[in-house]
Amino acid sequence: MSEPRPDRTLGPRHDMFWQYCGQGELRVPKCTACGKLVWPVLKACDRCGDENFEWARMSGRGKLVSWCSFVQDYYKATLPVPYDTILVELEEGLLFISIPDGFTEADMSPGMQLELRLRDCHDSAGAFRLPVFVRA
Amino acid sequence: MSIRDLPEASRSLSGKVAIVGLGETDYGDDYRASRAKAEGWERPTPEHLAVTAFERALADSGLRRSDIDGLGVSFLYGGPQPAEAAALLGLTPRYLTQVFGIMAGPLPQACAAIAEGKCDSMAVVYAVATRSIGRKFGGANFDDDSGAPPSYYYYHPWGWSSQAAHWAMTWRFYQQQYGRNDADLGAIAIETRKHAMAHPQAVMQTPITIEDYLGARFVVKPLRLYDLCVVNDGAICFIVTRADRARDLAHTPVALAGWGESIVKADKLDALVRGQLRPHYQEAGRQALTMAGLSLADIQHFETGDMSTVNPINALEGYGFAEPGTAIDLCRAGELSLGGRLPMNMAGGMLSGAYMHGWSHVAELVRQLRHEAGPRQVPDLEVSMFNLAQTDQVHPLIFKRGV
Ligand SMILES: [Zn+2]
Repeated sequence: MSEPRPDRTLGPRHDMFWQYCGQGELRVPKCTACGKLVWPVLKACDRCGDENFEWARMSGRGKLVSWCSFVQDYYKATLPVPYDTILVELEEGLLFISIPDGFTEADMSPGMQLELRLRDCHDSAGAFRLPVFVRA
Repeated sequence: MSIRDLPEASRSLSGKVAIVGLGETDYGDDYRASRAKAEGWERPTPEHLAVTAFERALADSGLRRSDIDGLGVSFLYGGPQPAEAAALLGLTPRYLTQVFGIMAGPLPQACAAIAEGKCDSMAVVYAVATRSIGRKFGGANFDDDSGAPPSYYYYHPWGWSSQAAHWAMTWRFYQQQYGRNDADLGAIAIETRKHAMAHPQAVMQTPITIEDYLGARFVVKPLRLYDLCVVNDGAICFIVTRADRARDLAHTPVALAGWGESIVKADKLDALVRGQLRPHYQEAGRQALTMAGLSLADIQHFETGDMSTVNPINALEGYGFAEPGTAIDLCRAGELSLGGRLPMNMAGGMLSGAYMHGWSHVAELVRQLRHEAGPRQVPDLEVSMFNLAQTDQVHPLIFKRGV
């Protein structure tokens, strides 16, 4: 069943990210000039300023760096509180904000091995698949 | 005006201007009145607050209104344009500008304007009516002050937003790395509250114990209510003048000796959460100290932006006042209070004093360097440092007593 989420940022480059998610792939922009992975999606590379990117596929493996739980309702009841959020270091070195799937903060410890899943969700722009993480 | 307009830290601008007038609104009284909502009470407008702060600063400086030939204004959450503000304050300045809202750029900008001969004495005015307009920090409708969405806007689909979440992630990582527990962070909140209680116009005036701290509700776990700053209305005005004109005025002038800036260019969350902005603190601190011709050991008093209890820890360790992982030990040992090595946030900071985007920290610093801080005066004070660091940038200012 599809889950309601707060709105994504959409637009030419952003749509590509979600399109890949829809295909079950986590891909992020990689600067073709200097090779840096850039996240979140930016207009220009945050290392060399180049504006040309390819979409590099991430393995989907990562480890837990930090986490926090929203207790105050910042999203006007779109999401039932409290809920956990996680900061994952992808195998490729990038830090990625996400949410845990099938575990909670009580189970979390630094360095915990994680693996990508894509969850069926929708926002005001329609259906999409959200990258989330399960315990590896 | 953007913070990109910050003038370069250069030795030649050190000590060129001094703060000679200070005016603040009564944060504590206004906050309590807004809570009590007594009959006939009306919420002050940003204009009203700005006029109060300016008139107080002018009177404090002993200058005549006609001496003020420069005006910089910041109405962070809306207010009159600079020309309207000048009329409101009864000024006809030859130099009129908007200054960047948070206390990172305005004083260096005033310094540069005066050094370039655009004016001799400048009133720098800031007003916010935060609580009045019900501003919330975080959530789906967050608007960055610059009008552009901050990068973390991007994480909405995962339910991740708010400034508080940044500090929560940072603290969780730090906690794991250095083996700290929740009560450790409480030490900062409790000490800051004690400082607030020595300042009659601090918003918060009741003591908190560690039980109060740990028993308070979570906002973004692991951060609780007392880990996050207060929200209140207010205005501040500084009158800044050429150093050579500052000598014969009512109060001991407070010279702007140095500033610095370091902005995270890439991988912002990594720089904040895992890096605690340490290289950025080092770089910005080096600039400010070099400009001032001082070393870190010369700093006797520290006013630092404490949007959360986590920020002072980052700052103390980032600049090198404490080794990584040890800032809380400094706090517990009393080193951040009167009689300690580096008294910090003596008017209660933002956690318990007032949320004035760093301006009220500088106001306290001025009182301290004038030796007019009463029961909370840091003895024999000659050099103070201010810091404001957001999630991705660090801005120190260094001040000296006298010109
Ligand atoms: Zn590049």
